Order: sequence, then C-alpha cells, then structure tokens
Amino acid sequence: MSGQRLFLWDLPTRLFHWALVLCVAGAVVTVQIGGNFMVWHGRLGLAIVGLISFRLVWGVAGSTYARFSQFFPTPNKLAAYFKGAWQGHGHNPLGAFSVFGLLALIAFQVGSGLFANDDIAFNGPLQSLIGKDFSDTLTGWHRQSSNLLIALVVLHLGAIVFYTRVKKENLVKPMITGWKDGAQGESARGGGWLALTVALVVAAAAVYGASGAWLPAPPPAPKGVETPNF
Amino acid sequence: MNFKLAVAMLSVSLAAGSAVAQMKPEDAIKFRQSGYTFMSWNMARIKANVDGTYNKEEVIKAANAIQAIANSGMGALFIPGSEKGKGWKDTRVKPEFFTDKDGVTKVAGPFVQQANEMAKVAATGDAAAVKAQFGKLGETCKGCHDKFRGD
Repeated sequence: MSGQRLFLWDLPTRLFHWALVLCVAGAVVTVQIGGNFMVWHGRLGLAIVGLISFRLVWGVAGSTYARFSQFFPTPNKLAAYFKGAWQGHGHNPLGAFSVFGLLALIAFQVGSGLFANDDIAFNGPLQSLIGKDFSDTLTGWHRQSSNLLIALVVLHLGAIVFYTRVKKENLVKPMITGWKDGAQGESARGGGWLALTVALVVAAAAVYGASGAWLPAPPPAPKGVETPNF
Repeated sequence: MNFKLAVAMLSVSLAAGSAVAQMKPEDAIKFRQSGYTFMSWNMARIKANVDGTYNKEEVIKAANAIQAIANSGMGALFIPGSEKGKGWKDTRVKPEFFTDKDGVTKVAGPFVQQANEMAKVAATGDAAAVKAQFGKLGETCKGCHDKFRGD
C-alpha cells in the first residue's frame, strides 16, 4: 500500500527547527568553553533571537500545522488525548506543551542573555542599558534556567525515542522531509511568500534591536587612548 | 644586638599577624571585590585594544596589573566570618570555597599561571598572541566562577 501520506511541516518550519538545534547546541558548547568563545555565544544568541521571532510570526501566519492555534492544548483536546481518543496530526496536545515550553524558555534565555555579563570580559549587547546589579541578577537567572532548558531538550529527545521504539512512529523523518507517511488527512496549506516575507522582516528587526547596533557608541576606547604612567 | 633585633622582628611579625587576624570580614570582602573589579577594568582594556586599535604599552600596563593582583595572595582575604556578608555589596562566594581547599587550588593555580603568561605575551606586543592568551586567561577566570561563585 503506497501513496497515503500528508504534508505536515513546511520548509520554513523545518529550517527553523534544525537551525535552532544547531544554534542552541552551539550556544551551550561555547558557554562551557568560555574565553574567546563567548563572542560566538553572543552571536548564536542573536541568531536565536531571529529564529524565535520568526517562529512566533510563523505560528500565526505559517502553514496549517505550524500554527499555534492548530495545536494549542485546550482542556478538551488534552482530555481526549489522555483517553486515547485524540486524532490529529502535527503536535499532539501533550507535545504542544513541550513546544510552547521550549519556545518560552529559549525566549527567556536569549532575553536575559542580552543583558547579562560574565564578570570577565563579555557583556550582552544590551547590558549597558541596565545597571550591573540587575545585570548580575539576570545573569544568575540566565545560568539557572539553562539547566531547565537542557532538561526540557532531554525530555523532548526522550519523547522522540519513546515514539520510535514504543509507538513505532518516526517523528524525525517528517521534520526532515516534511511528509508524514501512512497517514490520512489534510496536507498543510498556507504560509505563502507574503507570510514568509513578513516573518523574515520581523526576525531581522528583532535581531537588529537585540544587537544593540542602534545604541550610541560607548565612550571608552577612543583611538590611541593612553593612560598616564601613574 | 641580635636578641633585640629578634625581639623587634618578632613583635613586628606578631603585629602584622594580628592585623591580618583582626581584619573585619566586611573589609576583607571589600578588598576582594576591589581586586576583582580592578582586574575587570584591566581585562576590558586588553579586550578594547585587541578589538580596536592595538596599543602595546596599554596592554602591558593592563596585563601587569592583572598579574600583580593574581600573585598578590588574595586568598588571604577569605578569612573566617567572610563566607557571607556585605563588602561593597553582598559577596557571592560559595561556602565550598572555604572548605574545598583542593578545589580552590585547582582553579587558582591555572589562573595565576595564565595571568603570568598574559604579562609575558603582552610584552611581545603580538596582538594575535595577546588575543589568544586573553581568551585562555578568561577561561581560567571562568573556572573559578563556575565552581565558587554563586548565581
């Protein structure tokens, strides 16, 4: 029996997903190393700002299964899911919590990171907008919630393994090809060029805002500044 | 003569010893925080020179300052009673710093070593080498932060 399949994840959603995987993994690794890699930690953070902003717009303007309203876990859907009566495609009601949780936590990570400092030589691009004390507080949150984020990612991976081994459903393949095999249902629609353009513009604007490029240049380090010999 | 000298030296060393012992925890925390903050200024100076226009003399000054503080025996400032409290602001040192002597040595040794190396490299005026060494030094700062600085 061939043929039955449906188009689940549009290309922008898939690209977003895998780019996020790379950026988050990179951000975790670079911050472990520290030193000059902190510059890359910051760059990856900015990239994640763009990705998350993109996804938020795409969750409204994207195609069917990428939309937040499509998979928002209402009590009814959850009740049906736990009775085993939920039938649908895309994110199931429980998985939806994981999606929203990951998005919210990652948004918090980059949001706090923009204002963070490492007490060594690295400051988030917007750190100068707030005082050192508040920056220290946010840095503490940034550090602590990274553990939560890593835990949630492990849970996410665990769920995929569970689906593959126990429920015999391959979740990874649709996230690569976009197609879900052996399923009947409506293929994803919507999320055209206009939506994509809007989402990309919003993402670019968010990265610009987060980069602090609009801030007046900091006063220190004018050319050839020399300190006196005392 | 020798006896008098010995007595004098003994009394000086006792006075010095008791001066250290009598340091208020609040002052000890202030000295600590001042030392780290001052190093932070010098780290920022090296970074500014590496990222912007490189000025050899500036980097040498900054690196020498960090080296001097790294080798100044700041460990003596972690006196009993200074585990918690306020210096210029609340200390963020973790209690383990006061109990885990081996752990402290393990992070402090590399820091001093890299700070010494930083000063050596700064003297060469090789900007690329300074940038690389600056990164290494920063990693050893982080080594202690990760282990002994609270959130």
